[in-house]
Amino acid sequence: MSVKEKLKKVLIEDLNLEDVEPEEIEDDMALFGDGLGLDSLDAVELVVIVQKHFGVEIKDMEEGRPAFQSVNTLAQYIEQRLA
Amino acid sequence: MRMAIQGIGVSGGFGRGVEALRAALQTGTVEVQQGCVERNGGTDIFPAYRASIDGLDEFIPKRALRRIDHFSKMTLLSACLALKDAALLEGDCSRMGVVIASGYGALKTTFDFLDSYLDFGYSCSSPTHFSNSVHNAAAAHVSIQFKATAPSLTVTQFEMSVPSALLSAQQWLAEGRVDQVLFGAIDEYCEVLRYCRKQFFGLGEQGPLQPFSFDKQSAVVGEGAVFFVLTRADENAAYGCIDTVTLGNHLVCPVKLPQDDLLIIGADGHKECGRWYAQAFKGRETAAYAPLYGSFPAAVGFDLAVAALSLRDRTFYASPELSGAATSVVTLHRKLAEEKLVCLKFGPGGDYGLVRLSI
Repeated sequence: MSVKEKLKKVLIEDLNLEDVEPEEIEDDMALFGDGLGLDSLDAVELVVIVQKHFGVEIKDMEEGRPAFQSVNTLAQYIEQRLA
Repeated sequence: MRMAIQGIGVSGGFGRGVEALRAALQTGTVEVQQGCVERNGGTDIFPAYRASIDGLDEFIPKRALRRIDHFSKMTLLSACLALKDAALLEGDCSRMGVVIASGYGALKTTFDFLDSYLDFGYSCSSPTHFSNSVHNAAAAHVSIQFKATAPSLTVTQFEMSVPSALLSAQQWLAEGRVDQVLFGAIDEYCEVLRYCRKQFFGLGEQGPLQPFSFDKQSAVVGEGAVFFVLTRADENAAYGCIDTVTLGNHLVCPVKLPQDDLLIIGADGHKECGRWYAQAFKGRETAAYAPLYGSFPAAVGFDLAVAALSLRDRTFYASPELSGAATSVVTLHRKLAEEKLVCLKFGPGGDYGLVRLSI
């Protein structure tokens, strides 16, 4: 399973997005606001999800902000840290 | 001060809603589900009364529920049903207090939070799990949902949680701090609870639940939520009234049961509590309904719902399980005249709660 596919799966499971299917999350869809509709508490959960499922620690939110734009940017961030 | 019961909402192993509870009382049977836990040592299969939260999205959109755990979802479902029953679902709840009684609180969420802390460290502990593990979280969800801006409280005193919390509700109404109290009793099942009960009680958890076999461990784990809309009794009651609530200890001050009242005992197959009932109810017309919803501290609230429903239906329902029962136990449904009903619950150390109800 690719990082993007795993990300979509854990986003749905850990954020309880029961009404969303993985294939409905487009790679460049905005995670917050009008896209997937996540909010500030989800941002904190995202930090936990990334560390728990990928072993990548996001130490400050300024660093995380650009990564949290979409599945594409977040997957890229994770892959860079794992490289 | 008497409290009038204006609405009831309930969900448990028998189904959801007052009609499902009435059907269980009339037939005297509930199909107990089979729980199953996979462990390193093999598969653990056991009986359990589980509550479904199906239908909650009729009241609250699914997306709004995504951060809410099973405990709070059970709470919200029964709270919605109670308000609907009292025709208050769309009403102004600004002067409605919320009181919740729970023996264990949100067990699954609490253990999930602790597990995440132990497994991954503090930086990976979910903030959502943490906020839901706070004991008053479920009451807060109810207050927020219905814009109930009066006080919101959760009381935990194990077996005595329900009578203890009822005293707070009664006090708020007597003081005029609130016009109504949305009063709930909730407990949930989780795998850790199953593990603990198996260590303590072993095969005593295999059922069937026999409330009148006082010297035998026969408890079967259950979960569920029941809510009542309570007002001062100067309004007509839809179901009946709670006359008095008494807490005490049978060793210090033996329980005094009103002479002609009919008794509903909270015996639920726990041997440690059974002996107290054996001493207290001698010869009195008695029923026990735990085989319809299982063993858990908040089940006292279900006894209370049965009492309220009995008053409304003018029927004293037969006990569903009679093994070990004395001759005074009610074996057939019978009409209620003007009798009062008393719900009696004992804890293991002789602590008791007594709630007296009448039309």
